[in-house]
Amino acid sequence: MSKLIDVEKEGVEIKKSACYFCHQNCGVLAYVKDGKVLQIEGDPEFPTNQGGLCCRGNVALQHLDHPTRINYPLKRVGKRGEGKWEQIPWDQAIREIGDRLLQIRTDHGAEAVATAGGTQRTDDWARRRFMNLFGSPNGFHNSHLCWIPTFMVETAIYGWCPFELDMGNSRCLVLWGQNPGAAGMPEMHHITEFQKKGMKVVVIDPRYSETAAKADLWLPLRPGSDLALALSWIHVIIYEGLYDVEFVNNCCEGFGELAEHVEPFSPEWAAPLTWLTPEQIRQGAYMYALNKPGNIQWGTSVDQIGKPAGSTMHARAILRAITGNLDVPGSDLLTGPSPDFITDEEMEANEWLPEEQKQKQIGADRFKLVTWPGYSRIAEETRKVWGKAPTAEWMCEAHPPSVFRSILTGKPYQVKALLVSATNPINSYGETKLVLDALKAVDFMVTCEYWMTPTAALSDYVLPIAGALERPTITSSYGCSDFLLASQRAIAPMYERRNDYNFWRDLGLATGQADKWPWETVEDAYFHRIAPLGYDVGTYDEFVERYRFHFPEREYAKYQRQGFATPSGKVELVSSVLKDLGYPSLPPYIGPTENEIDHPELAKDFPLVLTTGGGFMPYHHSEHFQIRDLRFLRHEPYMDINPTTAAELDIKDGDWVWIETKRGRIKQKANLTPGIHPRVVFTQRGWWYPERDIRDPDLAGALESNANILTSTADEDCDPYSGAWANRGLLCRVYKHDAELKEAH
Amino acid sequence: MARYAMVLDTRRCVGCHSCTVACKVHNELPVDMIYNCVTTVGPTGVYPDLHMTHLPLLCMHCATSPCVDTCPTCASQQREDGVVFVDDKKCVGCQACIMACPYGARVMNHETGAVQKCDFCKDRVDAGLNPHCVNTCHQKARIFGDLDDETSEVHRLVHGEKAVRLLEELNTEPHAFYIY
Repeated sequence: MSKLIDVEKEGVEIKKSACYFCHQNCGVLAYVKDGKVLQIEGDPEFPTNQGGLCCRGNVALQHLDHPTRINYPLKRVGKRGEGKWEQIPWDQAIREIGDRLLQIRTDHGAEAVATAGGTQRTDDWARRRFMNLFGSPNGFHNSHLCWIPTFMVETAIYGWCPFELDMGNSRCLVLWGQNPGAAGMPEMHHITEFQKKGMKVVVIDPRYSETAAKADLWLPLRPGSDLALALSWIHVIIYEGLYDVEFVNNCCEGFGELAEHVEPFSPEWAAPLTWLTPEQIRQGAYMYALNKPGNIQWGTSVDQIGKPAGSTMHARAILRAITGNLDVPGSDLLTGPSPDFITDEEMEANEWLPEEQKQKQIGADRFKLVTWPGYSRIAEETRKVWGKAPTAEWMCEAHPPSVFRSILTGKPYQVKALLVSATNPINSYGETKLVLDALKAVDFMVTCEYWMTPTAALSDYVLPIAGALERPTITSSYGCSDFLLASQRAIAPMYERRNDYNFWRDLGLATGQADKWPWETVEDAYFHRIAPLGYDVGTYDEFVERYRFHFPEREYAKYQRQGFATPSGKVELVSSVLKDLGYPSLPPYIGPTENEIDHPELAKDFPLVLTTGGGFMPYHHSEHFQIRDLRFLRHEPYMDINPTTAAELDIKDGDWVWIETKRGRIKQKANLTPGIHPRVVFTQRGWWYPERDIRDPDLAGALESNANILTSTADEDCDPYSGAWANRGLLCRVYKHDAELKEAH
Repeated sequence: MARYAMVLDTRRCVGCHSCTVACKVHNELPVDMIYNCVTTVGPTGVYPDLHMTHLPLLCMHCATSPCVDTCPTCASQQREDGVVFVDDKKCVGCQACIMACPYGARVMNHETGAVQKCDFCKDRVDAGLNPHCVNTCHQKARIFGDLDDETSEVHRLVHGEKAVRLLEELNTEPHAFYIY
């Protein structure tokens, strides 16, 4: 029977909470009585989800008190990974961890302490604040794979990242490697509504995805060949006279040089590289350039193609500029940072990190864009125009694969301690074998988690963290938007769980930062941040209950008033900032990280093209495999393969198969589908099996179906601008799981 | 008296299964029970010329409901507003209704021994709320309402769009309408 909650009943409170299982942070109403959440539902008044909740949002209660959640601080008593733990009080855990970190700082320097984060599930300005005050520049996320390089390239070109899509006034939306139909449901809803009103939808995706199936034009390109497509679109738009002459003349620098640069990149040139026809390429360019105003929606795919990533982002940024689709009604808007509330960056205490420590940031010598050299350069420009800088946590980080290598090689120095928060690097970072070796080798590891993940299992301490309904949330696009959405906690954290904010604050207090953490609770800190907005509220919770959002009045074409936040004040098609950092000032053509043209020998052994990653319902990254009410939908990992290719390999639907790159192999089940090119395979990401033995060496099957065993983080495969590694556009082979056994007998 | 119905807009559905999960958690169903699965047809065709449709399913709340007619204990009942439901206490688990239902909409609850099914979240409907599967759908692909109310969206859609019913030839008069 459906459960009916009587909201009129005495003692039932409605809390305005948020879902925390992806970045959309959908509004949730939680019905609470006596400190217990009775029921949740989507908040119909929340502007993004309007009452909707996806699979993940619906299991908030199953997540909240799941029998395998970590509820108390745990200290390792057996060998690493042996699964023997002692439950200890928080104060003891913080004291012991703090003492150990201070000892490491004394013996090896503050830079020997690194932190690993995951996707946005935390208040990472607090993590950054701790690290800055502690003196280490070596915080990182796998944000290199998710928007951050895009943000920084675009900010180098036109002074901020135009992530705010004014779709309500748009006539064309290009979804570039994004599948909101499986990964961002509120966005998909808005796309559906605007498409009904005439907005064209172009989907660029090797797969016939949930979103591609609804598109006006689907461009199924070879994985990793996005750059050839972007360059040929620029060619078409310039040489067929489709560019915005007025905007280019008044607002852009370097158009002539650009025109010369893209002259060779015709659709006929791009066709064999992208596996599209010249006609398909032209159709896409026409649809975007002729249906104005329009949007290009960012997707993670370009961040994940490795070697050509930075150049592709530059080319894509140029497309917006030459069509004039920047900051005008219906286009991609440059919100800038909020001038009104205190941003994440202003909470990070970046000014407290000494210059000499900044210079020790691992990876900054090779990958300059999202480390201190590039960040400082770009922040200098944004401060001049916007008065503020992008968030440094995310936009200015150590290079994760280089940190893992430093643990193993001691170069440039050895990282001795790793603090892990809201991530499971064994499944989520590139080249699992490298990560696993590093996690086993590091002297000291602490993990803040909801679950005993394969990574947590290898830690010295595991700390229980408060989840979605137990914590407040401010949503402001990684601290880079001029608006914010605010949600409150439905209940106090259960058991001995604490907010991640309190972990960093407590650790700060234990390591001599007492005078730098005036806010006892995260609500105190949030209130400090919103107070300058001037609402007549006395607490953060009151703001949530009475207002919940802050959307400043939208001002279009701000560049007419203040220019663009670049050295010239214009859109720099030819980028002086990239040039200053030692990168090409115009986007050069670079082939996919591994490809049949540049690497014919490799292609003989590994004839298929692999794409990993890509969100799929009902999971998110490496999460939720333990939640029964989701797992029943997809209980095993599946890879997509075209039936023609499968027939050649004697693979039937549902067979277990090996997928192998030169770095290793994994097994997933074959899903035969015509929705993928015969030469391409797609593997699901994130898989581990929480129902199995979590102890080393099985680690809950974390090495069995984990797509990151296939990915590459070698320096030469990384994007030279940002160091983003390669998850897509790699070469692989596929064979039946029992094929080699037959051969062996 | 109202006559409740649901419209399923397959042009909007993306096959995300949110309705299935919402139904499951709110109705606290055991792991092997689903009231409202989403079936995906396709992709069909040859790459890259393809088509894919998602079909959200549920109890059709037929006006002439074979499950109600078949039930020997009168556990399966239909309200005047069209909602077909099972009175758990009267159900002896004979499963005759499962055999009779042409839509596979009924499932045995092995924990309680009773047959169960979608009841349009009738307690919520009586309180003026929508069923959980409707509320949770981001895509607004499930639309619920009173078919007899000429101002309702379901009325407008059923009469204004090309709405079809599944297995209409069986003359059970299902009250789930599909738009494609």
